[in-house]
Amino acid sequence: MTRVQLLDVSKRFGQTLAVDHVNADIADGEFVTLLGPSGCGKTTTLRMVAGLIDPTAGQIQFDGQAVNAVPSHRRNIGLAFQSHALFPHLSVARNIAFGLEVKRTPKVDVQRRVAEMLDMVELSEYGARMPAQLSGGQQQRVALARMLATDPRVLLFDEPLSALDRNLRDSLKYSILDLQRRTKKTAIYVTHDQSEAFAISDRIFVMNDGRIEQSGTQLDIYLRPRTEFVANFVGDNNAIAGEVTALVHGAPGEPSLVDVRAGRMRLRGLNPGNLRVGDKVLAFVRPENIDVLMESRESDEPNLIRGRIAQIVFEGPTVRVIVETDGVAIRATAGGLGRLTLLDQERRDVLLRLQEVTVVRDESATAA
Amino acid sequence: MATLAGAPVGRERRIFSFTWLWNALAHGYVWAWLGVFALPFLATLAYSLRTPDGVWTLSAYQYVFGSFKENLLLSVQTTIITIILNLLISIPAAYAIVRAPIPGKSFLLSALNLSLYTPAAVMGVSLVIAYAFLFGIPQTMTGLIAAYVVGTFPLMLVPIIVALRDLPLMFEEAARTLGATRMQSFFRIELPLLGPGISAGILLTFVIVFNEFLVTLFIAGPGTTTAALRVYNLTRTAGFQPSTAALATTMQLVSFVVVLLFFRFFGSRYLKGTYLI
Repeated sequence: MTRVQLLDVSKRFGQTLAVDHVNADIADGEFVTLLGPSGCGKTTTLRMVAGLIDPTAGQIQFDGQAVNAVPSHRRNIGLAFQSHALFPHLSVARNIAFGLEVKRTPKVDVQRRVAEMLDMVELSEYGARMPAQLSGGQQQRVALARMLATDPRVLLFDEPLSALDRNLRDSLKYSILDLQRRTKKTAIYVTHDQSEAFAISDRIFVMNDGRIEQSGTQLDIYLRPRTEFVANFVGDNNAIAGEVTALVHGAPGEPSLVDVRAGRMRLRGLNPGNLRVGDKVLAFVRPENIDVLMESRESDEPNLIRGRIAQIVFEGPTVRVIVETDGVAIRATAGGLGRLTLLDQERRDVLLRLQEVTVVRDESATAA
Repeated sequence: MATLAGAPVGRERRIFSFTWLWNALAHGYVWAWLGVFALPFLATLAYSLRTPDGVWTLSAYQYVFGSFKENLLLSVQTTIITIILNLLISIPAAYAIVRAPIPGKSFLLSALNLSLYTPAAVMGVSLVIAYAFLFGIPQTMTGLIAAYVVGTFPLMLVPIIVALRDLPLMFEEAARTLGATRMQSFFRIELPLLGPGISAGILLTFVIVFNEFLVTLFIAGPGTTTAALRVYNLTRTAGFQPSTAALATTMQLVSFVVVLLFFRFFGSRYLKGTYLI
């Protein structure tokens, strides 16, 4: 069981800094996801932990021991690839046995372990098959059995489900989580798919441009994004540009808030802690956290905004409403039975009640 | 033509006859060309089985199992050693060319292929000069094998390079993360997966070296007459006798049987179950 630490790890490929001073401390038995768009450095980070790429700077530690100089085959890790990477010329059983055989495990133990692993991924009958004779989901399960057979210290997953179809992805991601929970191994999982990340992680590291933008639980990432990138990348969000007018200190134990003026709108949202009066900011509010009220009165209450419905789209379980406010189109979604009452309300004046507003510094405006 | 012959069969009964006609034409076309290509061989075979008086007999073949056996044996020996040397040279070379960051790769590759584009007569003259002045090894089996290796190693190198380029790095990485050293990963994973490229290289080397005659003519001595050279010599000294035809036929059969066996055992086994299919 292993704690994995990345200390100021960077990787440079020629002129590009693929990974930029990444720090992470992953507890023993924790399931961590590196989430980000393609090219954000998440796979490079994972491959450095696997020992397939050497970091340009910084240190990688397993249980406090630096492993930078330890070659991949002696790190005792398991790596799952995007495509299953099963050896096509070896049977399923020989694939699973491979890691044990190269470590000169006695034959009896190899056979017992292979049977155990096949059983675990529910493919006991398939040992003699060749990989090409299995379905995509079965192949990926054999790959999981193969990586677990050698009892690795750390499990690494490089988008293992991205080549599979959607139904298979949904069931396999829970299989992966289940295997990790049963074996209690530390796991690092790379994906660009946030629903995957949300389903299986203890903690999510959102990466962009080689850096970790934010790390935390699903709730932290979703409800309290700390950067513009995280707010935009995770889930759907309305962005409203404005300026901080006041800091609102909550009662002890309550989060501190900021007041933001955006045109004639007044907003109040969570202060990530680094904002001052006069800062250019972006206020974010998720479409599902907006109530559409059929009222057309003036409002000077914060987070209660006047507007006119521009468009209504019936999407089945939800109704999407686009409301023209003071120069900004705000998207709201309504669910439940109440959504049906919205359907023929186009061009009506309404009030929007915004909830769970978060505020982050507007990096582009600050830089300009 | 194979794909045409396997054209989808119509679901409706009445176009069945048309499909049948089409298949028959396609097969006929292939067989007709096969006949044209096989004609010289069939003619030689017939010639070897007849005396000048028109009697059918196997007597010409007695000669084959006499002294010609030694020539055949020499050919087989030199071919096998050449194949082994080609493998030992080409596999590491292919790795270096595909995986190592070498500047000017395409130029290097063209230069390595130079011997394939050299006329055999030019190659023969160059080898005689080089051997005589530099190495002092003319007219020996070593000299013969060295010449074959120089002339044919690109035939081994190129298919292995192609196979290695198509082989994803992922398999090596998977083996390494599972605990395999570089050596284990190479011998257990990558070498078997290069099978199709390696077997193509072996086949090409065999066909060319076993039947090589022009370069051999320049550098072979009295004790190193290969089968192909023997056929040529006999044609010159004895003329077109049935015994000459018998030698030619035997050589052709050996080549043909080896190629058939090769495809039967190696070709299909290496292609089946690999990532290629």
